[in-house]
Amino acid sequence: MARYLLRRLNLFLATSFVLFIVLFIVTSHFPVEKSFALTGLHSPNAQQIEQIEKNYSLNDGQFSQFFSYLQQRLSGDLGISATSQRPVIEELASVLPASFELAAVSAMLALTLGIPLGVLASLSRHKITQHTIMAITLTGYSIPVFWLGLTLSLWFGVQLGWLPISGQLNLLYEIEPVTGFVLIDTLLSDSPYSTSAFIDALLHIILPAITLAVLPFTVVVRITRAAIITIMDQTYIKAAEARGLHTSRVVLRHALPNALIPVLKNLGLMLGPFASYAMVVEVIFAWPGVGAWLVSGIYQRDYTVIQGGVLAVALIIIFISIMIEVLYTAINPLSRKELYASN
Amino acid sequence: MPQIKIYQEDEIPSPMKKIWHSFSDNPFAFAGLWAVIGILLLSIFGPLIAPYAPEQQDPHALLLAPSWDPAGTVEHFLGTDDLGRDIFSRLLHGAHLTFGMALGIVVTALTLGFVIGAVAGMMKGLKSSILSHLLDALLSIPSLLMAILVVAVMGPGLNNVFWAVGLALTPQFVRSIHQAIHEELQKEYVTAAKLDGANPFQVFWYVIMPNVWDTVIIQTTLGISAAILDIAALGFLNLGAQAPSPEWGAMVSQGMDNLLTAPWTVTIPGIAILCSVLAINLVGDGLRSALSPINN
Amino acid sequence: MPLLDIRNLTIELDTPHGRVKALERVSLTINPAEIHGLVGESGSGRSLLARAILGIPGHNWRIQADRMMWDGHNLLEMSPKQRRNLMGSEIAMIFQDPSSSLDPVIVVGDQLIEAMPENKKLHFWQRAKDQKRTAEKWLHKVGIKDTQKVMSSYAWELSEGECQKVMIAIAVANQPRLLIADEPTNSMEAKTQAQIFRLLTKLNQLHNVSILLISHELETLSIWCDQLSVMYCGQIMESGPTSEIINQPFHPYTKALLNNIPDYSGLVQHKSMMKTLPGSAPALQHLPIGCRLGPRCPEAQKKCVNQPKLCHKKNRYFACHFPYHEEPCNDDATTTS
Repeated sequence: MARYLLRRLNLFLATSFVLFIVLFIVTSHFPVEKSFALTGLHSPNAQQIEQIEKNYSLNDGQFSQFFSYLQQRLSGDLGISATSQRPVIEELASVLPASFELAAVSAMLALTLGIPLGVLASLSRHKITQHTIMAITLTGYSIPVFWLGLTLSLWFGVQLGWLPISGQLNLLYEIEPVTGFVLIDTLLSDSPYSTSAFIDALLHIILPAITLAVLPFTVVVRITRAAIITIMDQTYIKAAEARGLHTSRVVLRHALPNALIPVLKNLGLMLGPFASYAMVVEVIFAWPGVGAWLVSGIYQRDYTVIQGGVLAVALIIIFISIMIEVLYTAINPLSRKELYASN
Repeated sequence: MPQIKIYQEDEIPSPMKKIWHSFSDNPFAFAGLWAVIGILLLSIFGPLIAPYAPEQQDPHALLLAPSWDPAGTVEHFLGTDDLGRDIFSRLLHGAHLTFGMALGIVVTALTLGFVIGAVAGMMKGLKSSILSHLLDALLSIPSLLMAILVVAVMGPGLNNVFWAVGLALTPQFVRSIHQAIHEELQKEYVTAAKLDGANPFQVFWYVIMPNVWDTVIIQTTLGISAAILDIAALGFLNLGAQAPSPEWGAMVSQGMDNLLTAPWTVTIPGIAILCSVLAINLVGDGLRSALSPINN
Repeated sequence: MPLLDIRNLTIELDTPHGRVKALERVSLTINPAEIHGLVGESGSGRSLLARAILGIPGHNWRIQADRMMWDGHNLLEMSPKQRRNLMGSEIAMIFQDPSSSLDPVIVVGDQLIEAMPENKKLHFWQRAKDQKRTAEKWLHKVGIKDTQKVMSSYAWELSEGECQKVMIAIAVANQPRLLIADEPTNSMEAKTQAQIFRLLTKLNQLHNVSILLISHELETLSIWCDQLSVMYCGQIMESGPTSEIINQPFHPYTKALLNNIPDYSGLVQHKSMMKTLPGSAPALQHLPIGCRLGPRCPEAQKKCVNQPKLCHKKNRYFACHFPYHEEPCNDDATTTS
């Protein structure tokens, strides 16, 4: 197991290294002065220029330039944002929690609703129920997320007026950020309005979370259903039935754990599309997260912000997908079989 | 003495025929196929049947409702936008931008991905491992981020969407083909073929490929639907097709200003995107279930 | 009173080629504490019969029977829930492929414990420990020495023989009255096979478990079974006490099967043909009418297009119009009239 973990760590480092190379090459192709693309300083004075050239070894060959670049980035220096003149890393730290909050809530929604529905869909022998569920999930899978977001906000936000359609929290509430997650901060806050602020934050997150949850939800339903249908034909399910176990027990204890394995595997593959969708959703609902920040960065040609954002998001995705893989190996005894066989 | 037939002859259909039978047995998949053919025809001949030019403005018919609305007219079947442009004509002109370009991107990315994936899949050891790390790194950049990088380098525009979406799709193709080939390579029948003296090319083309085609087909349908959604999303974010273009995602974004007064300027292009992606997914789904019994 | 009494069980399958009678008018009687062998080629519907008795039908099955009695209760009238309870407590089954009959993601011990009844007399905090002890006891009884290790292993870490022993332990843990063993030694070495069969006989003798032993090897079954039923293409050809059937088969098919057993005495001439029936077993969608052995049977005549009724001679049953048996069968007259 230790050897396996070491190999995963190695994979993480190697992949991140490749990512840095890609970003370095892209940075040198930005249609602006290289020192500006690297640091975000628009018109640096002579002293700053000297500093930049020293930090990034701009007068040396490509290799030493790359290693200086790597050194700077790893030490946490992502340059400063050209528009706000604040360090990119600070801005990143302020927008990341919001994105995590949105992603976590919608992932939770998708899993808690998707898995039971997938199981129900697979067990139903009724043709109409099955077709309905498949039709709904296929539509959800095909829907353009920006259009869904607009439509939902038009209905529930504007015409019915039930839910707020932009931002994370009503501006009236002044909540001190502790963790950065508004849902937690409002609960932790000792202001007299903390309960109503929490409810407000909850209302704000509903629409974006539902919009974002549609894609993973449909994927989870479809994969769970397909997996359960395959598994219910296996001999060990028949054997479990032959032991006189109740159907619900057979499904929950024998079929579901086996079905969750492919679901988990596909969650890792879904991260990329999920992140893309999250960015669009953040733009539509003016959610103060990484996506909206990055998109405004590209509108303003803020190259340091673009680099920093892409780097952070890609690193997080690499990390989470490797974590999912490790989790997959940890909970799936069958994958350990292959592991033993290979070593 | 003529042979007496005790049992009637059992015709065994060829695999292609079997796939076609089980595909056409599924009414939804079949409907999807017709819809895809229809959209394909529209994206080729759309500009010919469109009643107006995409940029032609009718100053007397601004924000006209669709024809089924009491305020609408039949001249502008799906209504007009805030500049008086006919939405129906714009949709037809945009079909080849959204749908046609998606096809183009997928074909290019698939060819590239197939070649790289096949080479990588047949390789072993360090080279293969370096390549798979590279792919993992590229795969971890979501398509939208890739597009943002491309736009940052080359500036926004429809041409750059081609590069952005293509660059995001290619690693996916490479990876799935690589994995499929790699899995097949480890099976016994490949070893048997090698022992029979097949050279690497024969092993690849005659032994492995027949078992990988279904992965390629499924990836293609997934790729087309992802490409349509990505092109539209980039158009919507103003990173792809720019303002007067009738690209469907850009149309949604242009209609945003009038979302409250004229919701159809947003709804109709959105439904067009939804329908085309749905049709592709129906076909893909049908193909997947038609191909799967062979695997089992 | 017989433990299990089945009369004229017919199972129809809905296939893409239309509805097919996979089992046609099958009758089977199992008495308490006997080992009943069921011999037939693969595809002759033995597993269907086993699953029908147990009560886990497939979703495209249609089951009809004149009578299906379990210890005086009609199985056909029971609700699915009652059937499920019966499965847990009185009928148990061992499957063909032991390693795939065990859930791959749960350790073997938990699956064994799951199959055992809870001891209601103990307090709930004592039950887990008690169950573990009982499980180990059962594993020990079926001949597994390192019980601790096997209990905490996954199915794929064990050998085929060990898996089958675990399956038997799971099946007998509830002390069932009937154990259906569907090809329990399929794809096993001869030594393991012998172990398993010895284990089954021991269970039969010590715990009074009736066993329905399904196999395609007449030779093996003739060693271990008291009663024998011969099946071909979903029809029962002959049944009766093993020794009598072996010594004097009434049915052409049984005789052919007996002739199939290779003779190792060295009297057979080199490179001579093995004695087999001409042709091969028909596919499910091309079943002949009447007696299904008809097209391959050496004794077949025109009459064979009607299905022969099972006729009764002392404790022997056979379904044939032209048996290797002089006296006419009484039941036969009723068929033709």
